[in-house]
Amino acid sequence: MDFWYLAELTVNGALTGLLYALFAMGLVLIYKSSSVPNLAQGALTMVGAYAVLEMGRLLGAPLWLAIPLAAVAMFFLGLGIERVALRPLAGRPIIMILMMTLGLDIFLRGTTMAIFGGSSRPMGLGVTYDPLFVGPMLISRIHLIGALVSLAVFVVIVFFFRTRTGVRLRAISDDYMASWSVGISVERGVGLSWALASVSAVAASVIWGEIQGVDQSLSLLLLKGLTVAVLGGLDSVLGAVVAGIILGILESVGSNFLDPLVGGGSRDLIVAAVLVLTVLLRPHGLFGRHDIERI
Amino acid sequence: MKLVRMLKGALGGAALGAAAVTGAAAQEDEAFRMGVCYDLSRAYTFITPQIVQAGRDLADLINADGGIGGHPIELTVQDHGNEPQRGIECYERLRRDGVFVFDFLSTPVSLAVVPRAMRDEVVMMQSLVGRGDAINGEVFEWVFPVGPTYWGQAANDIAFIKEQNGGSLEDMTIGFVYLDYPFGQEPIRILETLAEREGFELQLYPVPLPGNDQSATWTQVRRNQPDYMISWLLANGHVVASREMQRNGYPISQYIAVNWLNEVDIENIGNEAATGILRGTNVVGGQDIPIIQEIIAELYEEGEGNGPREMINDVYYNTGVAMYSVVFEAARLAYEADGWPITPESMRRGLRSLEEYDANGLFAPVTVTESDHGGGGRTRVEMWDGETWVPQNDWTAAYQDVIWDVVDQYSSEFTLEED
Repeated sequence: MDFWYLAELTVNGALTGLLYALFAMGLVLIYKSSSVPNLAQGALTMVGAYAVLEMGRLLGAPLWLAIPLAAVAMFFLGLGIERVALRPLAGRPIIMILMMTLGLDIFLRGTTMAIFGGSSRPMGLGVTYDPLFVGPMLISRIHLIGALVSLAVFVVIVFFFRTRTGVRLRAISDDYMASWSVGISVERGVGLSWALASVSAVAASVIWGEIQGVDQSLSLLLLKGLTVAVLGGLDSVLGAVVAGIILGILESVGSNFLDPLVGGGSRDLIVAAVLVLTVLLRPHGLFGRHDIERI
Repeated sequence: MKLVRMLKGALGGAALGAAAVTGAAAQEDEAFRMGVCYDLSRAYTFITPQIVQAGRDLADLINADGGIGGHPIELTVQDHGNEPQRGIECYERLRRDGVFVFDFLSTPVSLAVVPRAMRDEVVMMQSLVGRGDAINGEVFEWVFPVGPTYWGQAANDIAFIKEQNGGSLEDMTIGFVYLDYPFGQEPIRILETLAEREGFELQLYPVPLPGNDQSATWTQVRRNQPDYMISWLLANGHVVASREMQRNGYPISQYIAVNWLNEVDIENIGNEAATGILRGTNVVGGQDIPIIQEIIAELYEEGEGNGPREMINDVYYNTGVAMYSVVFEAARLAYEADGWPITPESMRRGLRSLEEYDANGLFAPVTVTESDHGGGGRTRVEMWDGETWVPQNDWTAAYQDVIWDVVDQYSSEFTLEED
């Protein structure tokens, strides 16, 4: 394998990885405030994509307007989900909450299937797919744009956690009992994190919808997003970005070596291996908080 | 006493007469029923709505004209979600209700039901999906994959490339990009055999489900530069492939898609970008076909269609009309030959007596026999010219010796113990 080919695989892998990170940041936002691994994040991303398309179709809004309108709608959807489905489960075993998010995932996929059908629809960002060469390396424009969006969302989240509201969320994340005792509304904080995760799902949905079309398969991003979030540390936004890049490169370069040996399909194997090894060797991930409980 | 006997006789005669009249009326009302167990909620939803709509429309059209010998056609549609167990449940439920003609339109579900249909001696339609060796009617006596199989279609694609290349495939490279699960893997055996026979290099490019992640695949294609790419992807997979081709500078005019590429996908690719794309097809596309025009005039212009009007502008709708034309024509032949009621045996005879039948102008004519339940399996290659699909060759069924070798080998391994 020549150097430039390896470099191309690495760069494109890193760009794809940043798109995984864009998705994973939604997972981290919710986990940070409520310690819930949200298995419905893939479905939320899919709903975000449909929301953008429907804003365009029903209101006649151009895409640049449909996206923020969909973000507002998703903000309230996130709030609603937390209020109606999650809050009643406060204090229940984590497995019940996990099952609820899984149920939400199935419900959202089924509902969109019933309303919009199974045919894929284009997002229509208007990004050209003509070849873009940087030196001898072919770079994907949409992945490059998506990676920039991902970094922008990362910066926004980092700054958000330095605002007053962000500090409250961090406090809830650190110790919700203590937060309660000093008058922080934990319920409102958790609701807000669901709302923000839903908004970040819109950003991921627009980019992924452009890449692969809008249909129920967008919800399958969950596996890779979850792997990235676990590898990075479920409560670390920076971890999501770094882990995304690592997973993207491993997938891209690794599958190029492994596919000819195993007859294809090694990308999913690599993702599964990363997930399993992370849980076995470093359960709190690269940057996640390693809680030690005194008993 | 005599009077009493006469009275009894008269009453008895009247009762018998009434019973006969009621029986005749019941027979007139008795429908030809077909079990349509489809995936209406998961993997095949890109096609099942159009197919169901087409089946119902065609049934309504025939019913308006008196049905089959005065008996209406009735389709019972149920969802199996592409899950074999639910497909079996649907089959068993409807079979208990007396249904003996089924279609499942799903490879995994069809695979699961075949042994049951064989054991129960129930007619199972299996057009365009499922196991390709089921065209062997001597083994699969109750399974009818009328129309081309994936094996035949792949062989015909190779024949088309050979024709384009002046009759030789020597030193050519043909790539095969496919969904890495049974549907996509189905033609590999045929392609490998043909590669050996014709002297071309076959390159395999598996794509993980659901086919949205193809970036690494097309990076390899760009480096290897095969002369043609044959694609066994589904629906949106072709859209993703088209973008990757554009990004990697691979000409779309050298990409031959499997038949599961429709007008919605073309719209998603974009008309301009899609111009030149090739598709292997097993039905005639477009609406300029008498049966489609009749459906539009008789049903849709009267507001009696079974779904949205725009759904008709889709090659999958034509596929549905073709598939159900075969079933209803076979039922008509069964009725003509053996009268009412149609039984599994007479229905099978009806199917086996289809001769040069073109499914209302939508299939290349098929002739089904006791040994060949596929009926010929002809396909052709079409090109999207920016407005419509333009045929690039005649209907063809190439390499039949290779196909039947594989069919014989696979079907000989089938036993009912597979259940």
